[in-house]
Amino acid sequence: MQMAADLNNEKLIAQYLLGELPEEQQVEIEDRAFQDKDYLATITAVENDLIDEYVRNELSEKERGRFESRFLASAERRKRVAFAKALTGVAAEAPVVEKARPAVVAWSWRESLEAFFRGLTPVGRFAMTAAMLLLLIGGAWLLTEMFRLRNQLNRMQAENQSRQNERQALEQQVEAERRRNEELAARLNQEKQQREQTDESLRQLSESAETPAPKPIVASLILLPGISRGAGEKPRLVLPENARLARLQIGIDPEETYKAFAVELRTIGGRQIWNRENLIARERRGARAVALTLPATVLKPGEYELRLKGVAEGGNSEDVGFYYFNVTRRQD
Amino acid sequence: MLNSRQKWTLTQDAFDRLLIVFGGDRESGSEKYLEIRSNLTRFFEWRGCPFPEDHADETMNRVAKKVAEGEEIQNPSGYAMGVARLLLLEILKGRQREQSALTEMGHSSEIYEGDDDGEDRLTCLRNCLQTLSPDNRELILQYYQGEKSEKIQNRKKLLERLGVPVNTLRMRALRLRERLQGCVEECIGRA
Repeated sequence: MQMAADLNNEKLIAQYLLGELPEEQQVEIEDRAFQDKDYLATITAVENDLIDEYVRNELSEKERGRFESRFLASAERRKRVAFAKALTGVAAEAPVVEKARPAVVAWSWRESLEAFFRGLTPVGRFAMTAAMLLLLIGGAWLLTEMFRLRNQLNRMQAENQSRQNERQALEQQVEAERRRNEELAARLNQEKQQREQTDESLRQLSESAETPAPKPIVASLILLPGISRGAGEKPRLVLPENARLARLQIGIDPEETYKAFAVELRTIGGRQIWNRENLIARERRGARAVALTLPATVLKPGEYELRLKGVAEGGNSEDVGFYYFNVTRRQD
Repeated sequence: MLNSRQKWTLTQDAFDRLLIVFGGDRESGSEKYLEIRSNLTRFFEWRGCPFPEDHADETMNRVAKKVAEGEEIQNPSGYAMGVARLLLLEILKGRQREQSALTEMGHSSEIYEGDDDGEDRLTCLRNCLQTLSPDNRELILQYYQGEKSEKIQNRKKLLERLGVPVNTLRMRALRLRERLQGCVEECIGRA
């Protein structure tokens, strides 16, 4: 406790700075300085005082010797000594302040007010008091009005924002509906075209049905799940020259419970060439399959990818499987 | 510098590890690093070493080396101070040897003759004083005006005029002084 109290003693700090203390005390001072910023500032202040005393020749000979060996060792401290010398010189040139001047620190507002009032006549004081009262009342009224108007403005802004949000939501809805309509129209158009093609093929079929056709006009292929794109041997659909229709039997897992299916047929390059929706799976001999019939002219020789999607209750479609097969043409 | 210790080089990796030991991450570690380095510089200055910043850097290098070697450090500030104190012993021993050699050769240690740029410094100081507000300028000049009892009287008048405690006035003067010194050094650097 005694040591701690002594550490605050500036004479002790000066002795530390001049290197006059035993190692143990030096360590104590340093440890405290690096943990206590206020103490560090005190040491810096004592340092400056020592520098000033050196510059003014106010140190004893012994202290001067110690100062020169410790304080002038580093360039940074030498700069501080040079600065102190310059500051002492400039301060000595400055005019001496003889009498007390008005405080540089402003009076408190209360003191200012009191002084002002004391200087007024009684009539002046009454007028000033009335003016201040009016100001107070007016200020209070203005404040109240301001809050009221601000609340009103906030309410109106909130209403405006809400109306804007509603309008935006409606606009988005309309846009979504418009897009959906466009999609449906496009799909309808596609279905119509495909149906026309199928009808045309069927018509041709029925026309030629009168004379028995010795050669088949429907080429069929069964596609089973599980054959990957990279599989060496893919199912092959051989289209005879006079094939009019191709029928693909797409096998599905008997446990698939989708009510309807959709099919997309693409070339291996990714171009979609056929699609159908609302296909129903049929069960036959314990197996379930979705049948897709399409004009044979659609299938050029090459590799194809068939994407089967199941349509769930809510109308969302989910992928069920991908099937890969090759098409070749046979010249009869 | 102590060349026998300079075989180990501070690498980026070792420095990053040091920062993590100081503060847990680079940002807080960097702040702690600067704080400890500042304290070490002051320590070497107070102990009268000629190159306090170099010694502080050497201390940090040694601490980084220990961290890189896997030493666990719980209190980085305390550890760094310990390393600094050991380094100080080496420096003092070195200076003693140097001093003995100089004495044998009949040389005395270097005596500070004063700075060569005294006039420049005065001019810069006068200019820098103008950058202060009139009140601050008057405060700093009055605080340092006079000698011995006159100086004490001037400071008493200041205290009465400002109506502040003595330590507040002292700290205010200290801050203004540091500001002026920075301004002067910058001015001399430009000259």
